[in-house]
Amino acid sequence: MSARRRLVLALVTLGAALAVVAAISLFVGSAALSPGAVIRALAGRAGGESVESIVTLQIRLPRVAAAMLAGGALAVAGVAFQGLTRNPLAEPAVLGVSSGAAFGVVLAQIFGLGLTVLEALGVASFAFAGALLAAAAVYLIAVIPGGLSIQTLLLAGVIVGIFFTSAITVLISIVDFNRLGGVVHWLLGNLAPIPAGSLAVFAGLALLGFWLILRHARELNLLALGEEAAVQLGVDAERLKRRVFIAASLLTGTVVAFTGPIGFVGLVVPHLLRGVLGQDNRLLVPTALVGGGIFLLAADTLARNLISPAELSVGVITSFCGAPVFIYLLRTRYRVAL
Amino acid sequence: MTGTAAACQLLALLLAAAPAGAVTVRDMLDHEVTLAAPPRRIVSLVPSVTEVIYALGAEDRLAGRTDYCEFPAAARAKPSVGGMVNPNLEALVALKPDLVIATDEGNREETFQQLARLRIPTYLVHATRLDALHDMIARIGALTGREAAVGPLRDGLARRVQAVRRAVAPFPRPRVLYVIWPEPLIVPGRQSLLTELIDVAGGESVTSRQEQAYVRFSVEAAVALAPQVIVLADHASANGGTSNAGRPEPEKWRRFASVPAIRAGRLYSVDLSILHRYGPSVVDGLESLARLIHPEAFR
Amino acid sequence: MSALVEFDSVAFAYPQPERARDGGFALADVSFAIEAGEVFGVIGPNSAGKTTLLRLLTRVVAPARGEVRLEGRPLARLAHAELARWVAVVPQDAPRPFPFSVEQLVLMGRYPHGPGRFFESDDDRALARAAMAATGTLELAALPLEQLSGGERQRAMLARALAQAPTLLVLDEPTSHLDLRYQAETAALIQRVNAERGMTVLLVSHDLNLAAEVCDRVLLLSRGRVARVGTPAEVLRRETLEEVFGCAVSVDVNPVSGRPVVQVAWPSVRAGR
Repeated sequence: MSARRRLVLALVTLGAALAVVAAISLFVGSAALSPGAVIRALAGRAGGESVESIVTLQIRLPRVAAAMLAGGALAVAGVAFQGLTRNPLAEPAVLGVSSGAAFGVVLAQIFGLGLTVLEALGVASFAFAGALLAAAAVYLIAVIPGGLSIQTLLLAGVIVGIFFTSAITVLISIVDFNRLGGVVHWLLGNLAPIPAGSLAVFAGLALLGFWLILRHARELNLLALGEEAAVQLGVDAERLKRRVFIAASLLTGTVVAFTGPIGFVGLVVPHLLRGVLGQDNRLLVPTALVGGGIFLLAADTLARNLISPAELSVGVITSFCGAPVFIYLLRTRYRVAL
Repeated sequence: MTGTAAACQLLALLLAAAPAGAVTVRDMLDHEVTLAAPPRRIVSLVPSVTEVIYALGAEDRLAGRTDYCEFPAAARAKPSVGGMVNPNLEALVALKPDLVIATDEGNREETFQQLARLRIPTYLVHATRLDALHDMIARIGALTGREAAVGPLRDGLARRVQAVRRAVAPFPRPRVLYVIWPEPLIVPGRQSLLTELIDVAGGESVTSRQEQAYVRFSVEAAVALAPQVIVLADHASANGGTSNAGRPEPEKWRRFASVPAIRAGRLYSVDLSILHRYGPSVVDGLESLARLIHPEAFR
Repeated sequence: MSALVEFDSVAFAYPQPERARDGGFALADVSFAIEAGEVFGVIGPNSAGKTTLLRLLTRVVAPARGEVRLEGRPLARLAHAELARWVAVVPQDAPRPFPFSVEQLVLMGRYPHGPGRFFESDDDRALARAAMAATGTLELAALPLEQLSGGERQRAMLARALAQAPTLLVLDEPTSHLDLRYQAETAALIQRVNAERGMTVLLVSHDLNLAAEVCDRVLLLSRGRVARVGTPAEVLRRETLEEVFGCAVSVDVNPVSGRPVVQVAWPSVRAGR
């Protein structure tokens, strides 16, 4: 079966799965709404001020959209970082990029930026800058002649992540100690309903990042030959690395700006997809966009309803899934030569 | 004080006089809050507010609370919407509230933004001093239509506070170290109500020079301030004894034999968790605290 | 036959000290030409600059002085993808880790012919299969590269280069990890590719006898300079080799092909035997 046909088949399957998960997420929640009530609200036939209308249209629906976008963006960023570093363990949280973005967001919030459309762009810019900073730091620490040292990359990611998280704690403690509890909670990742205008900004930035990576998917494959060989095949390797790097940081920064740092989506989803589809980035990037949405949406629905009415942060669920995958990959793929 | 009293009376008049009309009031952070009618389904996201509502006998207007609103015990019968930091929005909306009362110390800014998006009026309180607590009681009384109960409640509290002041007035004021949380060491700073309570109870909080309300303090610095009385807040008994978190561990402090409080044997660990919930019961805590600091005044 | 590749007074030095271990070695005043259709060898001791020469040819690095020309046009003026349509390199080692199949590897060679395409065309796929058939790797198409033996991997890498349909095929140490059998097969493959497809071949090798057998002309590099250029018989002379390589050698003639055969004169350790 040609790559093109496999891609179409995979997208159709994943699309159907996404629809199912989205439907479940809309029907399940702390406010006990019957499926009929939800459908009425979606069809616009419930009263504008009724509980089902508010809960379905203003709480659940925006949250579902945010989860799909955030999950997709994080998964695509994961594929991109993995293609760049030729290392299936690379993903925004592991590389400390999420923490850098989170630092940017906290900084923006101290300057008073909130959730309105224009301010959201501002927050996203700060997050993007923070993400770039962290990613650049990790890259510079780990780069050696001939490529990236894998061990150093992972360690550098951990350190950079810790650094930025600590910086956040310090910043908040100095500026407003009362808010520390809230910020710590946000750092676990938090899919809250986002107003429609900001959601549009979120979607726009995420799709931009996605497209930037998709158009280089074939060249990312070629990087697997080694940088020199890729250049000899006609790939402008430096430009490719730069663009993918920036696009992946943009995706990470965008997600963190709107939902806080959520880890391991970029690790688990590409790993699962590779098991089925293989290593071709042309298949992985589009399917990650959909697959990531499914994963995060499922995780969030679980997080919100496991111990209802109390809620777990979605980052808790993704970490519980992600840590075993990380360990598995570490043990099987990395016979590290000492 | 008269200014806020006047505002409360105006609020009460407005609420009483316009049962069907919209009313705009200002909350304790001076934000405008518009209510379509006197609120009948209030969700309280603040334990002290919940306590005041019950103290004023307005619990019939309370539709929901947080997990931490456990005082008085009757409050547990009301449905909870989750924590203070992360209340469950769906559960909250399902209660169909017409007013949410919250605080900027303990609830998150993001929650207020979400409530604003959902067009649920949110009234913010901020009470870190005894007079602010008095103000808050008046405001809640006005909001719930229980103005009649405000006077007796406030007078009762004020009388007890005055009694404490008078009892401890003749005595020298010892230096008091109050340990809110042992590890990491957290102590009250100038903006904390605890500092004022210690002052009323006839003591001088050694950490009062710190600006913030809650300060992460170093044990060395605390010891170097040579407190004459040390009070360790015991949270563990409040947790039902199920966890060791917040257990005061007085033995750790007894090591510092040179500290005046240790030499004089004035190290107390007591369940004063009521002091950490800034409702009317804080006066109970004040009285207990005064007895610890000045046992001679209450013989 | 006109010159396909010209090196014109090319000089290059790696910036110290990062490349110090890799030679750090300057190429100084290197001038030679490769004629279209010939099999051209580059030989010399390890740090003589063979790899550097290759990198200059494929524009991985640029010369500090002088110019490299392809069919008369300066290399610097060619776009990366265009150069890749002219020159294909079979590297010494297969990339590691490499999680793709043989067919996916060979298809990568089609990139320079359609860099804007997202998926390869049917033509691309047909040419890839032809390249695999020519190297005897068609039956390995679906296997992951990492599962192949050294010889099979080498042939797969060659298939990829052939799929690139270059005018100049560059082979970097093609027999370095191979068994005798595969060394012979590789030599045959080089000659077949050159004869059947008219492909110019540049062979970089430290195997002097391989170069002697298959090359029309060889370039002997010594310490970044051209020591000699000419036919194997002209270049592989005892005195020349001893001077460049710094050890005693003997040069005979292969009775079958008439080409020189170089042998190291092993130092005699066992006295009196």
